[in-house]
Amino acid sequence: MHSMRNRCFILLGFVPVFRYPQDMKLASPPDLNDEEIVAKTLVDKQFFGEIVDRYEAKLKRYVARLGVRNPEDQLDVLQDVFLKVYKNLNAFDSSLQFSSWIYRITHNEAISWYRKKNVRPEGHLIADSEELIGFLSAKEDTQDQDFDKTVNATEVNAALLKIEAKYREVIILRFFEHKEYDEISDILKIPVGSVGTLLHRGKKQLANELNSEAIRM
Amino acid sequence: MNENNPHNKKNLKDTLLSMIEAENVRPRSRMFFRGRECAIWALWFASVVVGALAVAISVFVVTHRQYGIYEATHENWFTFMVEVLPFIWVIVFGLMAFLASYNIKHTKRGYRYSIVTVLASSIVLSFAGGSALQFFGLGYSIDAILGDQMPMYMSQEKIEHQLWQQPAEGRLIGRQVAATVATSSVVVFQDTTGSRWRIEIQELLPADIQLLASGENVRLLGQTMNEQARVFHACGVFSWTMNREVTMQQMSEQRESFLGRVKEMAQRTEGSIADLEKDLFADATRIDEKTMPVCANIAAMRR
Repeated sequence: MHSMRNRCFILLGFVPVFRYPQDMKLASPPDLNDEEIVAKTLVDKQFFGEIVDRYEAKLKRYVARLGVRNPEDQLDVLQDVFLKVYKNLNAFDSSLQFSSWIYRITHNEAISWYRKKNVRPEGHLIADSEELIGFLSAKEDTQDQDFDKTVNATEVNAALLKIEAKYREVIILRFFEHKEYDEISDILKIPVGSVGTLLHRGKKQLANELNSEAIRM
Repeated sequence: MNENNPHNKKNLKDTLLSMIEAENVRPRSRMFFRGRECAIWALWFASVVVGALAVAISVFVVTHRQYGIYEATHENWFTFMVEVLPFIWVIVFGLMAFLASYNIKHTKRGYRYSIVTVLASSIVLSFAGGSALQFFGLGYSIDAILGDQMPMYMSQEKIEHQLWQQPAEGRLIGRQVAATVATSSVVVFQDTTGSRWRIEIQELLPADIQLLASGENVRLLGQTMNEQARVFHACGVFSWTMNREVTMQQMSEQRESFLGRVKEMAQRTEGSIADLEKDLFADATRIDEKTMPVCANIAAMRR
């Protein structure tokens, strides 16, 4: 609906420039892809809100999986992530997927957060039971480990925390964030071939951890 | 959750948009990122070029050292190789290959390639560039320029001069400047320091005499008979090849010629010993050191 002032402008031959006030909800552009939203954000910063809407929940979950357990810390990390994304929008390479780029920034910010706080990512749940069942039943080309389906979520979470961080990061992205190999390559900045190798070794290490747990029990 | 936390009052999107507005946060310009990417590629290019120069100089050094007559200047093959290998340039090349790989890895898409691929591509490029530079003779030129401009830098020319301008050790470098009355036995030779020497050439082969008479810079192997009077007994003449291309075949020929000369000296020595033994039994008073050929006793021939 045009306001009275805009109607007058139109009658006089002017096309009014539509501005999004702070408190007005940006008309959701679901038909626009991320890359188009980025291009629009560079013209009008209000479009950045759409990026936040699209990624806030996903990145919050990812940050939690990476070990930032406290909700306030998660929000601090996310705030830094989105500010960094906004400042570096011109660095976004459109040959990449935007999601890979924003996940990469999030991953780096989470790592920086540990370093700043001088803490290790521990004591958090990487995934809930449903996700873990999906993970355990996933059949990858490179997968040759068979997990005992009776293991419970707590055990798998504990085992995931025991394996090396480089393996855990790839497993999280592949099985819990459901990223493709090339996306993981772009997020972690490693060759695609290394993704397969890390996944294979990670699953092997995880299987060893789960088996050793079973023996102890 | 802390009640004072601003996140609690507003959602993340609003907080961020307010912050961007209030602090007037702007995306960094595209030029900034392009400039950074260009700088990384420029550094990569510089690393490959310096790597190529290191290869060119190394190839020049390795192909111009005198493998054929290493006994003339060194005790053994090992000491010769220690001095021959251009360690500094090999280290420079290694550093440049690492730097080039590091730069590629830090370009936008560099992470997609394995370190082996990146390192191999940098090495191959440096080798290709270095070989091309050396093909046009730039290895020698760069080495010589560095030697001229930097007193601390030991160019191959400086090293060769240092190795061969050693009269006390039986090595001289320079050229024949005049023949004497007794041209068949003595010529006048000027070394690279400008000193003039009387060179005894009785034991030289015809080819050596011809090379010496050409008036070009040559290296003499022999023995200083009198340092004060500057008398030098020549046993071999070798061309000065620093500033021109030397093929493997030429080096091989030089080696064969050197070995042939050593054998000939050995045969002469055997003949002299036999003569000496005859003389010893015939007339003990005739034993004189000068009856032994000089060249048979010089260190290089003994090796």
